[in-house]
Amino acid sequence: MPMELLHELKVAHRQDTRARQDFVSALRGYMLNDMAAGMKQRYADVVAPAMAAQLGDRQPTQDDVHDAMKGDLYFKFYSSVRYNAQEMVWRSVIPGIEAALPAMVARAAEVQDRAGGTLTLDPTLAPPENVTAVDVHLMPGVYAAPDTPSAGAIYDNGLAVFSAGFMGRELDDIGMSMANYVRKRFPDFAPADILDCGCTVGHNTLAWARTYPGARVSGIDVSSSVLRYAHARAGSLGIAAHFRQMDATALDYPDASFDVVFSSMFLHELSVKDIKLFFAEAHRVLRPGGLLINMELPPNQALDPYDQFYLDWDCYYNAEPYYRAFRDQDYAGLTQAGGFAPEDFLQFTVPQYTYMSEEDFTEAVQRPAVIDGQTGRLSATLQWFGFGAWKR
Amino acid sequence: MLPLDAVGHRPAFFEQDGMDQMLSIVLELAAEIWVVRERVFVVEAVLQSQGIAVSEAVEAFVPDAEQQATLAAMRASMTANMFRTLNREHRAVK
Repeated sequence: MPMELLHELKVAHRQDTRARQDFVSALRGYMLNDMAAGMKQRYADVVAPAMAAQLGDRQPTQDDVHDAMKGDLYFKFYSSVRYNAQEMVWRSVIPGIEAALPAMVARAAEVQDRAGGTLTLDPTLAPPENVTAVDVHLMPGVYAAPDTPSAGAIYDNGLAVFSAGFMGRELDDIGMSMANYVRKRFPDFAPADILDCGCTVGHNTLAWARTYPGARVSGIDVSSSVLRYAHARAGSLGIAAHFRQMDATALDYPDASFDVVFSSMFLHELSVKDIKLFFAEAHRVLRPGGLLINMELPPNQALDPYDQFYLDWDCYYNAEPYYRAFRDQDYAGLTQAGGFAPEDFLQFTVPQYTYMSEEDFTEAVQRPAVIDGQTGRLSATLQWFGFGAWKR
Repeated sequence: MLPLDAVGHRPAFFEQDGMDQMLSIVLELAAEIWVVRERVFVVEAVLQSQGIAVSEAVEAFVPDAEQQATLAAMRASMTANMFRTLNREHRAVK
């Protein structure tokens, strides 16, 4: 069975559609585990020796690996399957959502205020070019629909197919793993106000509310479509969260408003210039003793050239134009550009909270960060990566 | 109408003309085959739940001579169709 969404905006997909979604998830699972392992072996056995012979004394860079792999038949099939699977994810959910949209809008109106959360839209906010110029991760019409929750619905349903079971039952494992990392690692830290930037449908925003039930949790995004959906989704799940349409590079909050500023899978959708603006804004709205924490892909400088190339596949072929430029950065340097002190930087890797016992997780958060080819990469041996900084 | 295709240039992974499209076609076909296989499974399970032991009946089914001939013709036609592009005589295949 495909992963069924657990809230009342879920779409009742027909049997054949559910079977198709299961197929696409299984295809992705096979590609991300089996084909990825086969491709790495192919690289080690065939591609790398040939490349080394060509390069002589020079150590290969990620670009050398990419150039060498482009000619390899295994890479061509891997990439073609992965690209097609990405297209098939969206195509497996969009027609059903289109048919269900009027009922979904009516349902959203019924459930959105149930938990005491709020939605504040800003019709004057012009969507930035990074969300209008490309269909990011090949999602058709990615943030194009201002007046309907359709983009939110496509993202939520698509993520359920895309995640192939790696992101938790409410697609919130990233948020749960990050929030519980903070809770376990810093037990004396008791945030009262938490902000999730670039929150889309709020799936990870709500993880913070679950982890810190006493806190006031807010989420911002530039897209009104995903926020309409997020608001109703949170209402249906019975969690109070406060969603506002806002640009993370120009936050409309007073100084010292939050104890946590969080983002997940967000920075790699921004230019380096905008990341620095966002971090400066995060520094401004954090209270002294507050924490900036971002879940992201690991930095290229921590990985060998093959793993750099493997993770940056998305930049080359999945309509993620800023992905690599971000991953090429020194992450500590980015936080310093935002005004955080070098000694207040932190980074960590953390296993998936959803899929392990509380005891094992508690033990795991005490371990130092280990960044390798499994970090931040969807597979059966996934570890999430996080970094950020404390504000003095 | 919600768009079904992402904007922008679709990358080519293979040099040969048509190969990338061919893989899309094969994967769509595979998805369709899975949809049909799952539906057959569900139909059998539903019948089973209604007290009709269709799965056992399917396994125990022995086609008679006429049915065997029909299946053989269907198989031959499918095989010929599958490989028609490799076969200079493919226009002879009805």
